[in-house]
Amino acid sequence: MKKLILSLLFFVAVQTPVFSQGVTVSGKVTDSGSEPLPGVTVTVAGSTVRTSTDAAGNYSILVPSEGATLVFTYIGFVPKTIPTRGQSTINVQLETDSRQLDELVVVGYGTVRKSDLTGSVSQVKGAEINAFPSSSLVQALSGRASGVQVKQNTGAPGAPASIRIRGTNSIQGSNEPLYVVDGFPMGSAPALLNNSDIESIEILKDASATAIYGSRGANGVILVTTKKGKAGRTTVDIESTFSIQQLRKKLELMNATEYATFYNRVAANDNFPARFTQAEIDAAGEGFDWQDFTFRNAPMQNHNITIGGGNEKTKFSVGGSVFNQDGIIKSSGYDRYSVRASIAHTLSDKFSVDYNVTLSRLRRDDQPSNGGDRGNSLISGTVAAYPTVTPFNPDGSYRILSTAYSWGSNSIVSPINYLNETTNITRSNRILANASVVYKPIPELAIRIMGGIENADDRFDGYTTLKYLASPGRESVSSDESLSLLNENTITYSKSFNKHSLTAVGGFTFQNFTNTSISGSGTGFLTDVTESYNLGAAETPGIPQSDYSLSAVTSYLSRVNYGFNNKYLLTLSMRADGSSRYTEGNKWGYFPSGALAWRISEEEFIKNAEWISDLKLRTGWGRTGSQAISPYTTLNQLTSGKTVFGDALYTTFAPGTRLPGDLRWETTETLDFGIDAGIFNNRLRLTGDYYIKNTTDLLNTVSLPSSLGFTNTIQNIGSIRNQGFELSVDANVFNKSFQWDVSGNIAFNKNTVTKLYGGKDVLGSSYNITLVNDVVNILREGEPLGAFFGYTENGYDANGKIQYVDTNNDGLINSFDKTIIGDPNPDFIFGLSSSMEYKGFNLSMFFQGSVGNDLMNLSAVNYTLDYGYGLNMPREVFLNHWTPQNVSSKYPVPSRTVSSLVSNRFVENGTYVRLRDIQLGYTIPFSKWGVRGINSAQLFVSGQNLLTITDYSWWDPDVNSKGGSNSVNQGIDHHTYPTAKTYTIGIRAGL
Amino acid sequence: MKKILIFLLMVCLISCKDALVEAPKSVAVETFYNTAEEVQTAVNAIYTPLKSTTSLGGLYFALQEALTDYSYGRGSYGIVSEFQGLDGTNITRTGQIWDNLYLAIRNANLVIANAPKGKDISQTDITKTVAEAKFLRAFTYFILVRNWGGVILRTEGNMTALDVPRSSEADIYTQIIKDLTVAETNLPPTVPVSGHPTKWSAKTLLADVYFYQGKYKEARDKADEVIKSNVYKLVDVTVSEDFQKIYGPNVINTTEEIFYLKYNQTQGWQGPHFAHHPGAPYYNRAGFFAHYTDNQKNPVYKNWDNRDLRKEHDWYIWNIGLGNTTLLNRKYRDPQRTAFAANDYPLYRYADLLLLYAEADARANNAPTVDAMLKLNMVHRRAYGRNPNAPSEFDFVLGNYNLNSFVDLVLKERGYETQYEGKRWLDLKRTGRVKEIIKATVGKDVADTHLLWPIPVSEMNFNPALDPQKDQNPGY
Repeated sequence: MKKLILSLLFFVAVQTPVFSQGVTVSGKVTDSGSEPLPGVTVTVAGSTVRTSTDAAGNYSILVPSEGATLVFTYIGFVPKTIPTRGQSTINVQLETDSRQLDELVVVGYGTVRKSDLTGSVSQVKGAEINAFPSSSLVQALSGRASGVQVKQNTGAPGAPASIRIRGTNSIQGSNEPLYVVDGFPMGSAPALLNNSDIESIEILKDASATAIYGSRGANGVILVTTKKGKAGRTTVDIESTFSIQQLRKKLELMNATEYATFYNRVAANDNFPARFTQAEIDAAGEGFDWQDFTFRNAPMQNHNITIGGGNEKTKFSVGGSVFNQDGIIKSSGYDRYSVRASIAHTLSDKFSVDYNVTLSRLRRDDQPSNGGDRGNSLISGTVAAYPTVTPFNPDGSYRILSTAYSWGSNSIVSPINYLNETTNITRSNRILANASVVYKPIPELAIRIMGGIENADDRFDGYTTLKYLASPGRESVSSDESLSLLNENTITYSKSFNKHSLTAVGGFTFQNFTNTSISGSGTGFLTDVTESYNLGAAETPGIPQSDYSLSAVTSYLSRVNYGFNNKYLLTLSMRADGSSRYTEGNKWGYFPSGALAWRISEEEFIKNAEWISDLKLRTGWGRTGSQAISPYTTLNQLTSGKTVFGDALYTTFAPGTRLPGDLRWETTETLDFGIDAGIFNNRLRLTGDYYIKNTTDLLNTVSLPSSLGFTNTIQNIGSIRNQGFELSVDANVFNKSFQWDVSGNIAFNKNTVTKLYGGKDVLGSSYNITLVNDVVNILREGEPLGAFFGYTENGYDANGKIQYVDTNNDGLINSFDKTIIGDPNPDFIFGLSSSMEYKGFNLSMFFQGSVGNDLMNLSAVNYTLDYGYGLNMPREVFLNHWTPQNVSSKYPVPSRTVSSLVSNRFVENGTYVRLRDIQLGYTIPFSKWGVRGINSAQLFVSGQNLLTITDYSWWDPDVNSKGGSNSVNQGIDHHTYPTAKTYTIGIRAGL
Repeated sequence: MKKILIFLLMVCLISCKDALVEAPKSVAVETFYNTAEEVQTAVNAIYTPLKSTTSLGGLYFALQEALTDYSYGRGSYGIVSEFQGLDGTNITRTGQIWDNLYLAIRNANLVIANAPKGKDISQTDITKTVAEAKFLRAFTYFILVRNWGGVILRTEGNMTALDVPRSSEADIYTQIIKDLTVAETNLPPTVPVSGHPTKWSAKTLLADVYFYQGKYKEARDKADEVIKSNVYKLVDVTVSEDFQKIYGPNVINTTEEIFYLKYNQTQGWQGPHFAHHPGAPYYNRAGFFAHYTDNQKNPVYKNWDNRDLRKEHDWYIWNIGLGNTTLLNRKYRDPQRTAFAANDYPLYRYADLLLLYAEADARANNAPTVDAMLKLNMVHRRAYGRNPNAPSEFDFVLGNYNLNSFVDLVLKERGYETQYEGKRWLDLKRTGRVKEIIKATVGKDVADTHLLWPIPVSEMNFNPALDPQKDQNPGY
């Protein structure tokens, strides 16, 4: 290193005639705590002479003898400018700056200074991601960045949440963003990372930022950077939390007395004899509480340790973590054990290597809790179960609810069957590893070759015991292996000259994805001892399956960042993607982008306005794509099956019902206008963006006449527009001994379906919950995606039955009377956080919410109207149903003859505001007490989801039962694993 | 180091070249149908949509059984038993059935079109597999034409055309008879594994096709060929439980089986799922109890002779919340079921054929004949636990009947014999007496709308040759 500096100095001395003579200035750079700072850049102002500090913070630099000004810069610190004034020793103390403008932001295939950003990029710090225990980074992102909507599909531990960045683009394809971890584009959200492993997350939102990811950029890109070692002292960070979770909200259901009374009313209305005698009603009392039976208080704990350090040549970071979450429903839970390492080494001034690896073991225990009707799933059974009976017969055996009352539901299954007699375990081994070599033939040019592997081995074990209702013992196992190999080769050239600065990236990348799976099943077992580990013992073996797919993406990419005088910034990028999934001639897609930014604050006319510390206008345009189809979709494949002849199975081969067609990319074009501003010395910072995003060539199912045998085909038809405005504000309100930081973000997005095939509506999935069997969501031109579609109620008839509005006045109530009855898309979403600090005490609060969206409460269809099956229901049904005296009741006459349609009755306001986290911490002042070796130690107590303000009647408004990557069937609550609230204590310590 | 980097770069550039070509580990339409075995798996695929739960294996069966004089639909099938046309739920169901039937027709057309082009298949195998495909295509069109009227006629000649208009019923029947004429000639007299059609299956189906069209002489003659072949024999019954030798879950095949849809423990039939109550001991704690009858209100059941062993075998009293006079059907039982029932769906049984012969022969001769009465009595004797081939005290006497009363008698016997086999509604429609008999038994007036199912939206909206105003069935 010293040699390098010397030769550099020599080089400079010889080559730069300005410095005909010079003197050496040396010194030490430290932080505010007098710790040495290695790697600080020391520059002679107005020249190219620069050096950096060594591990001990020392530097030495040759300056012109007539005197010069030294500039000390270091990421995360306020730069300092010091005139030499003939001194030969200059020691410098740098102040930390959490709002550093010059901090680097990771963008695709490189980094840029935050001040040089031309696109719309949100950054979320590791500390925010790890502020409170959550099972995934996706959940932790909720409310943290503007325009990023996190939808918790279910409250089940480890269940994937879904993210929509600036609305929903695709109908058939995935709407999830691309996740890139340390440069590796992942197939799905990186479940293998513990939140404590994350240094920062950058969310690329507009196309000028995402176009560099081409065919995978349309839904936004989430760049995850894991923790890296820094040169200097080795640091150890330890964190431990313990939490207790409990059901956030219990439904208020009828007790046994009310239940018995209610079903006698139903019987009387239907001219059946009374179901319960007066004596039985009198003895019923409160009855059995099935919610208390199904839900429990469950522990959660999270422990992690990160050790990092190194010198200028070698830096390392090693982390390990344990995350154990038990679900609030028995035998559900999520565990993760992960180990991570990152090593960077500089071989010489021309070569450096970099290696990152994460290994994880995941275990997810699921309860098949979702959906159903009349009590035939765990959640629906917990609500419906009769409060007049207990789970057990007098002899201790399980009570069979479906035969408990002859007038009751024939499909209700006692929750105890699921809780005690079913297991669904997925165990996964995940690896993400990548290594890169950088070669710099000249300082301005970096050639980088990167190779990476992502591997997931998942094994599923499902078993239903002999004790389960009418079960002969059922076993199913499957094993899936997904492997992705990546190779990226990029060349980066950066140079600054005069007032120009230029960075250019070009590259070639290749990634492939192999999936193989195998599964087997069987029914009929003699004993439960073998669980799912003896398929061979099955009386009736199922048909084993195996599957294979391989797809690949080959890409060429390039980007130019050009800046003039630090005022005018230009970014141009282009990516060409070739995908194996499309037909010949449609395989290649081209994704250009361009962006301009103007840093007004650098202009002379505004430099005088001292209160403006930063002001930048941005605009960008870009085109991105979405692959949207699975491998082999365009091929006319035959699928195999089995059918019975005699008493045995024989193989069948036939095409599916979807006629393959020529397909190409879905294309999304985004136009973005943005402003970044910092005022009062950057104590108040805001970023605002307005965007218009048009997605065209949407893959759409086109129906064919079903007599063709093929019922549909896919074509590139249809378009969707998302436009919106988003704003984020960070304010440092007080920064003396009392510190108060507030930050908030808000995002408005309006989604419109602009074109569909032949202008025809596309209906969402049909849900059969017996009382109704109909679609809930619709795509219609001019309407938002997934709008609720159904009938409108029109009071009760003379008998207390529900009437509907005959919207087309044809005298009939049929599907032509359906209209749009709700919108699952919010008007706006927001996040608001506050952090106060005083004398070692820290109080932080984090609110998050969604306003103006509707929810379709499918759970309520059976559980407020299906009176013929003895289902338990909310107390409100008992208290407020139609009688000849109460004709304006909320619910109709309780009678088995009540029928229902999908109507506005079930559309509820899904608006909510949630206190996602509140935390009180105390930093123990070890340094004040003279205790050495402990840098920091904080004890804290916190609570998650302690407060939720909403009008929604069922478990939880943050729900999306049929959600996931699909975009049509949104905003539905259908007996979903409810959300928990959590109490946490924890400690964070740095050594 | 530099050289290594350049080498790495080159390796990748070369190896990535072919990566964009898809090479799935699966077979495609263009490369299949070459050997006898390949073609046979394609023939097997014709059965899958027929056996599906959204087809004959479930919805179709459940709908037909809600359209009888001897029982009533319940729940969402209740409205079907009102005979006033179908509601949305059931229109959706008939649409699903339509889709499946045409999927079977497509799969049959693929075999008929591709088998003769096979590179490595003998002429014998081509003839045989094409005959089986044509049998199944005819069978499927026969279901379509009876429930929807003149439908879209798709053969191997127009299987890829989008716009195909409705054909007349006569044209559909012409195609059916054409296919079955090939099938009865080219199908083998016996098959190694039950479930595939024989030439006798083809002749039985052809007899039924003639019968439904009122061509009684042709029907009788075809039925006679089957009877004279001596391939089939009624299963002997002495006590009511013996009927399980015909319908039970473990029966693999019987001497009575002409053409069945086959099921086993792994791939069960959903039909019995519609019959039972979860509390009842016949179907392992599940069931929709979608159909029931009533021993007080239903005259067919009420007037049924208690000595007829079928009565006890087929029905059991079970309170489903409608009182103690309700009965559910137990013709099919599978108390050990794991998936759906292992029982087979008896589409054509020998008893059925004998009754067809009896009626067709009487009608062809304009009077009941000795032969016709014998065939009727064979079925009737067996029902009372007697030897079908020996006279019994339960025999009907020829002298007591004229043509009309004999035809009534056969229709009544058929109503007992084929209960819960999905046949009654089509029998009533065939005889033109559906309105009269339903009114007399269930007490409902059958609306004209109810006689044909609607052409589904999945066809009407997307077939350019159809006009929703003119081409829809009445009332929809």
